[in-house]
Amino acid sequence: MNLSVRKIVISGILGAITILLGVTRLGFIPVPTPAGHATIIHIPVILGGILEGPAVGLITGAIFGLFSFLQPGAPFFADPLVSIFPRLFIGVVSYLVYFLSKKALNLNARPVLNTGPGEGAATGSTGPGSNISRILPCLLAGAFGSATNTVLVLSMATWRGYLPSEVSISIGFLHGVPELIVAAILTVILVQGIQRIRPSEDIT
Amino acid sequence: MELTKNITLGVYLPGKSFIHNLDPRTKIIAATIIIVLLLFSRSYPAFALSALFIAALIIFSGLPAGYVMRGLKPMLPVLAIMWVFQLFLFKDPDAAVYFQWWIFEATEAGLQMGNLIILRVLFLFTITTFLTLTTSVVSLTDGLESMLKPLQAIGLPSQELVMTLVIALRFVLILAEELEKIIKAQMARGVAFDRGNFIQKTRKIFPVFLPLFIGAFKRAEELIVAMDARSYTGGKGRTKMKTLHMGRVDLGAAALMIIYSGLLIYIITTTEPMI
Repeated sequence: MNLSVRKIVISGILGAITILLGVTRLGFIPVPTPAGHATIIHIPVILGGILEGPAVGLITGAIFGLFSFLQPGAPFFADPLVSIFPRLFIGVVSYLVYFLSKKALNLNARPVLNTGPGEGAATGSTGPGSNISRILPCLLAGAFGSATNTVLVLSMATWRGYLPSEVSISIGFLHGVPELIVAAILTVILVQGIQRIRPSEDIT
Repeated sequence: MELTKNITLGVYLPGKSFIHNLDPRTKIIAATIIIVLLLFSRSYPAFALSALFIAALIIFSGLPAGYVMRGLKPMLPVLAIMWVFQLFLFKDPDAAVYFQWWIFEATEAGLQMGNLIILRVLFLFTITTFLTLTTSVVSLTDGLESMLKPLQAIGLPSQELVMTLVIALRFVLILAEELEKIIKAQMARGVAFDRGNFIQKTRKIFPVFLPLFIGAFKRAEELIVAMDARSYTGGKGRTKMKTLHMGRVDLGAAALMIIYSGLLIYIITTTEPMI
């Protein structure tokens, strides 16, 4: 495996944001349930997968997992199988969903002539330059990345005996759904914003 | 709002103690051993021995104990809530029931499980914070690079991964300052971050996240240019101006760790587990 300077730096900076959101507790939104809070700390990991590919997603996920193990935000994260292992998949799943949905949308696109970024959505087109083909892959990647985190963490916490299965399922719905919605919306906003300042337009 | 005040992770407090002077590899290996043994500790005497050992390390390092524990402050309310939930939710049909109300049952198993995981969290936090407080980022990098070098033989880019970790640690405080400015700017515009329900609180985060990420990516682009301009090539063909050497103090530390580990393993295997 070869890591370019770009991949090293982006993984590091996104890793720093995950740590920062954890230690300042800004990435946690208090919810009165057994898990204590809904999280949005995994968003940098999702962004890593989308913007720089699976390797960056994996490394950022590993940093997220490592710090959630070493400085646990919830007691069951003191077990590496709950804190580190599930987080390795968030960025990879986000990348795969982003890549596949982008490919599917571009393949299904009808040829549209003279379509600007705004016009595509207005005409319902899914052409390469349209709003749908730019937004939908990010939305799906954010949602699937967030769902990966919720499902895997709760499954591991249940399997290791920290949470009864009924509690895990209720947390999955109470936290997983709002987390998924917030992650999907934030992913779209952040990817659009970050793309504007990046030197290359092609992010795959 | 002082975000940087409670961040102790990644902060280095210089000192002249023998712990400060240890080779970083010794400290990393020792911290790893303590953490692994901690994951196997399930009894009060085992935790008591670890507490004594870590307290002694903090005293000998000359660091103010209050500062080491400061980063725990924002976590305490969450830990307390989690302990209560664990007390009521961890079910074991054979365990004695302490208290019962409606569908809630506080059992002995719940109490022990709550205690066990809270103790683990406290110890994990203290050990990692203590490691970074007594080891500079440069030493930590040198130590990790030297320890992970053999993994290059199996194709793992260990030097690059260590660099990633170092960038992450270095940027935590820089980004914290930036985040503080963004939050203060929003508060000056009348945003009250501590008020509102889940949806309202979440909506307030959006105008904080975008400038934070844009600022971070701008810094990343600058760093990429700077590293490319200096022809950074990862670990390939790099030499060190200062090479690491283990001395007598490291031998002493190794002996101390063997005694501590032996005692702890003995306690773990002979004492009754909490659960």
